Amino acid sequence: MNTFYAANLLIYAGIDIIACLALNLQFGVSGIVNFSFIVFQSVGAYTAAVLSMPPDTANFGFQHYIGGYELPFPIPWIGAVVAGGLLAVPVGLVVLRKLRSDYQAIALLVLSVIANTVITNADKFLGGAGGISLVPSPVGDRITPRTEPYEYFYIGITAVCVAVAFLVVNRVVNSPYGRSLRAMREREIAAAAIGKNPVQLKMTIFIVGGMIAGLSGAILVGYINVWGPTVWLYPETIILFAAIIVGGRGNNIGAILGALLVPVGFEEVTRLINSNGTLANFGPPGLLSALQWVAIGLLILGFLWFRPQGVRPEPRRVFEGGPE
Amino acid sequence: MSAPMLVATEIHRHFEGLHAVDGVSIEVPAGQITGLIGPNGAGKSTFLAVLAGTLPATSGSITFDGRDITRLPAYARARLGLVRTFQLPSEFAQLTVLENLLVAAPNNRGDSLFGALRGKGYWIKDERRLVEQARALLKRFGMSAKESDYAGTMSGGQKRLIEIMRALMLGPRVLLLDEPMSGVHPKIIEEIQRYLQDLRKEGLTILMVEHELHMVERLCDSVVVMAQGKVIGSGTMASLRRQPEIVDAYLVG
Repeated sequence: MNTFYAANLLIYAGIDIIACLALNLQFGVSGIVNFSFIVFQSVGAYTAAVLSMPPDTANFGFQHYIGGYELPFPIPWIGAVVAGGLLAVPVGLVVLRKLRSDYQAIALLVLSVIANTVITNADKFLGGAGGISLVPSPVGDRITPRTEPYEYFYIGITAVCVAVAFLVVNRVVNSPYGRSLRAMREREIAAAAIGKNPVQLKMTIFIVGGMIAGLSGAILVGYINVWGPTVWLYPETIILFAAIIVGGRGNNIGAILGALLVPVGFEEVTRLINSNGTLANFGPPGLLSALQWVAIGLLILGFLWFRPQGVRPEPRRVFEGGPE
Repeated sequence: MSAPMLVATEIHRHFEGLHAVDGVSIEVPAGQITGLIGPNGAGKSTFLAVLAGTLPATSGSITFDGRDITRLPAYARARLGLVRTFQLPSEFAQLTVLENLLVAAPNNRGDSLFGALRGKGYWIKDERRLVEQARALLKRFGMSAKESDYAGTMSGGQKRLIEIMRALMLGPRVLLLDEPMSGVHPKIIEEIQRYLQDLRKEGLTILMVEHELHMVERLCDSVVVMAQGKVIGSGTMASLRRQPEIVDAYLVG
């Protein structure tokens, strides 16, 4: 294992942890089945990209996208956070107000598919099907990208973002406000009967989660320097849901564990099998990557069947000074 | 008669042609316990849900303490002090018993996004005060030992109690109780009754749906009888027993 591979794993782990913390806040704690989560990560990535890139006339105009402001780090990342939050407003207003929660899930899944199709076909908007490439690495003008110092630097800023996301999510979840969110998740009508406004609670968490998802997208695009419709297809959201279910719904440590076990660990292991010489020619072409999806599905089913609370279940809150 | 606290005028609630509540008008006097009785399917629970805002009225108007609340959603009515309980258990299963009470309490600085983000130091005082308040209620209803258990693991009667205590944590001005005693142990029923009478003395207004007529007679200052979505009579239990058409409709035996 060389430094670059290790750095790569760490940075991906950080990004997945941030995404899982946000999805856990929405799904695990608040009961919002956000099947369009990946769209929010993606809007962050696109925003960070077009804010940091030169206008699309650069590089002989081989790609087309809006914006191109060449803004210095960290402005594109802040823009990504804002964009994730802003996108949550119209989506939330349409989906979260009137629909019952199972229909909300369906609507969000459909939205994810529509968004991807639209971006794929709108050539001049965000690069279309080909996506955007040559996205500048943050601070790339001062530290040369793809060198060891740069990898360490990037691990550092990713770690800072993980810490901030964890602090925010943890404070929300372990507060009286988090308790209201969990009550809403358990029984929305009863929560309304004790004065909680379910639409407001859901909207707020949809926006906060969208912001954190946007940040995870910015970190990812700054590292891989490309973004396109194929990296945010709706099944990517399912992988994150698998992580939350495996890790433990409603538990932030569980979300982190889930991120390490599923998107990082599980995918990495199956990817290695996939590219391994002895198995590379196993079965018809594409069989192994299809089996990878089957495995993810079985993982979700297995956990829902045998350990629905996940590896780290939601903690039971015991207050000081009580009996026992 | 004291001034009415809650006035419902010509309330209709239709479900696809079914007139569950068909032009009900009632006045709930302040500081009294009013009973709402009637056979199954009379529309009592639907009417209660309309009063609380859980279901919107098809037509009609509702005023609460002189204020028109017809258009207010359920949560806003609860915040004004018009608090309901449910006929079916409606505990927050994955919250502990103590948390079920705490979550209902208003005036907790940590119960907003920005309050929560400021950290524990910002809201811990409120939390401690409310924990004390909640524990006092739990003690009164003999559930102190259960405070750290998940509410979902409690018995039907205990869930009922949790719900009443949860409603009380809001500091309500009007309580709408939907069969609060059903499935509760007789000993605890006495405790609930005593508590409701204490609350009444403190000025709380209560409207309760109840089937157990002895209890209604003992607790309620006046009673409203519903059948087939309409009010068919009201007054004290003693006066209702003298009206043959009401006895025929409901008070059989």
